[in-house]
Amino acid sequence: MSNLLHFSEHALQEVALILMATVYFLRIRWFMKWPLGKERQPATGLGDTNPKKGARYSLANIAMPWAMESTRSKPFMYAQFVVFHLGVVAAITLSFIIPYGPGLLKSSSLVALIQGLTGTACIVGFMRIIRRISNPYIRAISSPDDHFSLILLTSWFAFAFLAAPNDISGGEGFMLTYFLLTAFFLMYVPFSKISHYLYYPFTRTYLGRSFGRRGVFPIRRKPAYQRSI
Amino acid sequence: MNTEKNKRSYKAQKVIDRMGQKLTRQMVGSLTACVHCGMCTDSCHYVLANPGDPTFAPAYKADKIRKLFKQHYDWTGKVFPKWVKAGSVYTDEELQELKDIVFGKCTNCRRCTVNCPMGVDLATFNRMARGLLCHVGIMPEGVEYVAKEQWEIGNQMGVLKEDYIETVEWQEEELQSEMEDPTAKIPIDKPDSNIVYVINPREIKHDPRSILDAAKIFYAAGEDYTMPSEGWDMTNFGLFNGDDELGGAVAGRVYDKVEELRGKKLVISECGHGYRSTRCEGPNWAKKDITFDAESSVITMLEYIKQGKIKVDKTKNPGSYTFHDSCNNARSCGLTEEPRELLSLVVEDFREMYPNRAENYCCTGGGGAMSMAEYRPSRLKSAKIKADQLAATGTKTVVTSCHNCVDGLTDLIGHYKLGMDVTQLVNLVANALVIDDIVEENKKKYAEKEEVSSGSAQ
Repeated sequence: MSNLLHFSEHALQEVALILMATVYFLRIRWFMKWPLGKERQPATGLGDTNPKKGARYSLANIAMPWAMESTRSKPFMYAQFVVFHLGVVAAITLSFIIPYGPGLLKSSSLVALIQGLTGTACIVGFMRIIRRISNPYIRAISSPDDHFSLILLTSWFAFAFLAAPNDISGGEGFMLTYFLLTAFFLMYVPFSKISHYLYYPFTRTYLGRSFGRRGVFPIRRKPAYQRSI
Repeated sequence: MNTEKNKRSYKAQKVIDRMGQKLTRQMVGSLTACVHCGMCTDSCHYVLANPGDPTFAPAYKADKIRKLFKQHYDWTGKVFPKWVKAGSVYTDEELQELKDIVFGKCTNCRRCTVNCPMGVDLATFNRMARGLLCHVGIMPEGVEYVAKEQWEIGNQMGVLKEDYIETVEWQEEELQSEMEDPTAKIPIDKPDSNIVYVINPREIKHDPRSILDAAKIFYAAGEDYTMPSEGWDMTNFGLFNGDDELGGAVAGRVYDKVEELRGKKLVISECGHGYRSTRCEGPNWAKKDITFDAESSVITMLEYIKQGKIKVDKTKNPGSYTFHDSCNNARSCGLTEEPRELLSLVVEDFREMYPNRAENYCCTGGGGAMSMAEYRPSRLKSAKIKADQLAATGTKTVVTSCHNCVDGLTDLIGHYKLGMDVTQLVNLVANALVIDDIVEENKKKYAEKEEVSSGSAQ
């Protein structure tokens, strides 16, 4: 292994991780400084839900494609979402396995799993790039950050797929690119829309608490139990 | 920075400055978390009625507000403005353009909110943007007029106290006549009542029948209630124009009157935005914790039937009915099951429309749209979605628990020639009342009294 690859796998990743954590910390601190809007209203609804239940439902929404019309009516989009995000998990995991537990990659089934996830995520990434460019609605709302983040992630999936066997006998090119992209990714993410997952727990919890208090979440689509008087 | 400020109009600068004061953490979350996935697009009736026009997409509209936030309050936008589509407003013309989006292209129905995977609540910050514009006097003329009426006269239709009392007294006479009871009352300002009943000014101006119908139900239930002489308007244009101060003042008038009369429960007549404003948002705007119970008249009527206080006969309401959920009731207050239960008790043929409850489409007159004449053509075009939804039910009458929806639906039904009627639950419950025995008893009682009094006079 060359010194450059070793540096990319270790020191560079560690610095990038520290930078990412620092920016995340600052971002959360900035976010928490905004005043929390207070709900003074007495609870509404049938009384079979509450802020906690609403928040749990809201947070779990991600795993309930039937809960929202937008995901229920577009199962293929939801499947893409799942594949894409599983690809992210696989590619991140790989960036820790190669430097800190390379022995794990002796398992051909683990390599196949990572390649399966990152490979399909890469295909989904391409589909999303096409959608972002060709769909007039998505194109109209896209920022340079949206395009760049998507291209970055799709390329990263491709190199994760190639790096997964952890084999540098044919050259270090794929491996080096994968780790350089990972480091860049770690440093770029906090400044980009990719950091949406940082806000997800907050936005969904706040919405869920409010809608739980108001009897809206969980959403009903069939007759509920009758008010007992 | 000073140069930047100098380039901006006075109003534009005010909008930017005030935004920082109005943002809450919930709003900042919604402004920051959007990933532009576009999943909200098809949830909006404006989009569905204007295929191919991305300017109606919720995320597109949200970005017109979001860009200001990013430019002035989010540091990624300050550092890389073009990269994240941050931007500012400089001229009054740009503010007018923003007005056309936040008032003219969104009814704040919250359908995109419940369909956003990230939990972005566009309606909340769209309302904030409306408030910022109203603060510098940029708003549709109708909104300005109605808000002024509510500030100055105390109700959104400028009903004078004399006219209000006269109308209630007129309905009292009707009640006496229908019930054959000359002592039947619609009490005004009666202290220590179980219920203080507040209404929509539309009931005074255009639909006094609803007051009579509610009075008949209270009468039949033997309820101890009163209507207040002041603070009787439960509607609140603060919800529509984003003015929390107006919202707090209007809701506060209602709360103060209930406390002054020592009422035990505030009952809010059927109105989606009125219910939301008075029951849910009002305490937040007025910064006041209310000390009495408050409920929709839908719940009150349902309880009367279930407790046996009133009897109803559903055969008195023949024909087929569907129910339209008001956005404010369903998506902001969870009032979805009680109206259905009540409706099924007073009509024989109730057919659900689809989608329904929190997924229902807006009547397209929400968010104060009925008062914005300049956007009427666009509103009626977007109403095609609702018209199709209504027509698919195959019913003759659409029932709703909202005066605003009554107007919105009536307008679109006329426009699309659907030939349907619109009514409210209070009208159906009153019509289904089994009161013949009460009326007969009253007839006998007062005939006897008359005989006695004429006998003693002889």
